[in-house]
Amino acid sequence: MRRNSIFTWIVMILSSLVLLFIIAPLAGMFIHTGATQFIETVKDKEVHQSVWLTLWVSFTATFIFSVGAIPFAWLLARKKFPAKNFVQGIIDLPIVLPHTAAGIALLGFISRDGFLGKLASFAGFDLVNHPSGIALAMAFVSLPFLINAARDGFAAVPERLEKAALNLGAGYTKVFFTISLPLAWRSITTGFVMMFARGMSEFGAVVIIAYHPMIAPVLIYERFSSYGLNYARPASVFFILVALLFLIALRLLSFKRKVKYINNDAETY
Amino acid sequence: MLRLININRRLGDFVLSDINLEVSDGQYYVLLGRSGSGKTQLLELIAGLEHPDTGKIFLDDIEITRQRIQDRKVGIVFQDFAVFPHMTVFGNIAYPLRARKENKKSIADKVEKAATAMNIRHILERSTEKLSGGELQRVALARTLITSPRLLLLDEPLSSLDTSLKDDLKRLLRNLNKEGQTIIHVTHDYGDAISLAKRVGVIHNGKIIQEGSVNEVFNNPSNRFVARYAGIRNFFKVDISREDGLFVGVTEHKVIFKLNGITPTRNNLLLIKSDSIIISNEMPADIELNAFKGKVTEITPSEFGMEVIIDAGDLFYTNILTSEMGKLRLIEGKEVWVSFPSKAIVVINGN
Repeated sequence: MRRNSIFTWIVMILSSLVLLFIIAPLAGMFIHTGATQFIETVKDKEVHQSVWLTLWVSFTATFIFSVGAIPFAWLLARKKFPAKNFVQGIIDLPIVLPHTAAGIALLGFISRDGFLGKLASFAGFDLVNHPSGIALAMAFVSLPFLINAARDGFAAVPERLEKAALNLGAGYTKVFFTISLPLAWRSITTGFVMMFARGMSEFGAVVIIAYHPMIAPVLIYERFSSYGLNYARPASVFFILVALLFLIALRLLSFKRKVKYINNDAETY
Repeated sequence: MLRLININRRLGDFVLSDINLEVSDGQYYVLLGRSGSGKTQLLELIAGLEHPDTGKIFLDDIEITRQRIQDRKVGIVFQDFAVFPHMTVFGNIAYPLRARKENKKSIADKVEKAATAMNIRHILERSTEKLSGGELQRVALARTLITSPRLLLLDEPLSSLDTSLKDDLKRLLRNLNKEGQTIIHVTHDYGDAISLAKRVGVIHNGKIIQEGSVNEVFNNPSNRFVARYAGIRNFFKVDISREDGLFVGVTEHKVIFKLNGITPTRNNLLLIKSDSIIISNEMPADIELNAFKGKVTEITPSEFGMEVIIDAGDLFYTNILTSEMGKLRLIEGKEVWVSFPSKAIVVINGN
């Protein structure tokens, strides 16, 4: 009993230290930001534009790529195919790559000489230094979060339920949309939020693709390198607060959607 | 009619081998086997959830071996019910109708009718997450029956229900069958088999080892495994010889069985149903009977009275009514006679 108690204390102290390591720099930043500085930053149009650009580009990238990523995750969870482990490794690659290197790799692909760049040129715009290029950079580094979470979600859905639905006469598409997707929804939402958040906070890959228009992490870096820590701090605090609000809203929205889904089913008739 | 011809299927180390089966229309067929015997795998092959490596499956003379699950007209109710947890009871029962894109009015009418038949109309709007095992079972049944399957497959439908719910569901299944529904029911429970089946198949290690009507299978078990299923505990390994023109079987403890009217083959295992054995305080007068003197070694309560074990060289297991116990004044250690006619003896394959 006593041994357990000592062990619990040691675990609690270690956990507190780790938690402190995360909280302390953020709290320090908030404490050292004066109210006047903060209000000035909130009124700064350049900061507004940059934060808004970051949010909508990251959300759009997550939304568009989820159309392919979610079925891909289902495939990984349900089907056996040759070199599946290799494919899984490729998906995780962006997590381990230095993000500047990811940016360089992507730049070769989306610059005017690259395959996707040429396609964009035909459509009359340039991906480099354009929100669409930023979206691609964000998606490149953050896709694994959505695919992996959605794959785990699909894998946790009992295959028997899908088979039961097939036995009841539903086709594969119907089973996917009425059984697999709703039951994996919580994990998919978590992956969606993680991808969105990771894309939003991306600096390395984006800065290679587009210094302008300036997303919030690039703006913070620019203010730090040009004017110093005191000038970069209020912009960071503002960005963190807005991002937090957005994330909380997304979480609440996804939770409400799930509850609504169950009720709707009963109320339809 | 369902016909399975030479079905073989390997699943890891387990093999379903050489399965031949015919289930006629309106049949209640019980497939009896222990867990791991392959009965659920066989059901999944019929439903199309898995495919056989070799062999063919026909339903109404149409080959369905490789037909898609959703086109087979075979409904399956899983052991764990597989009720959709994110839908209400209504949503579950309506699911197959929505898949067929029926109109809302028709769906509402059919669901209500199915729910009324299953006595679950009052829970239609409830989430399935808070239902009891019996209610889940009925939801799963209603959901499958609403598709009007040609063949209904039930995987251990009674295993997770308590006794009173079991009786209700048995009645419901019997009625369904009386109305013409063809049913294949897999179970490990001998009691379920005898109370529901018109025909029974015993599956063991991936093979159907005996098949026939309930009486055929359990009155003439083809081997020790089937006999054990029927609750028979009196097995005697014997050497068969001929004395004065009659066959006799002698156990290693020198208990001699008279096999009047029996022509033994090379098989050498005798079995006697407990109910056929009579206990008496005096030696029976009929000399045609097999009669052995022994000592009561154990008396234990059983489902229908008492089980009495008598050591007469070999152990004899008998069942008697509690009232008989009083008349015979049986106590452990008392000397009694056990007797039974030769016709109560069945000679089966000892291997």
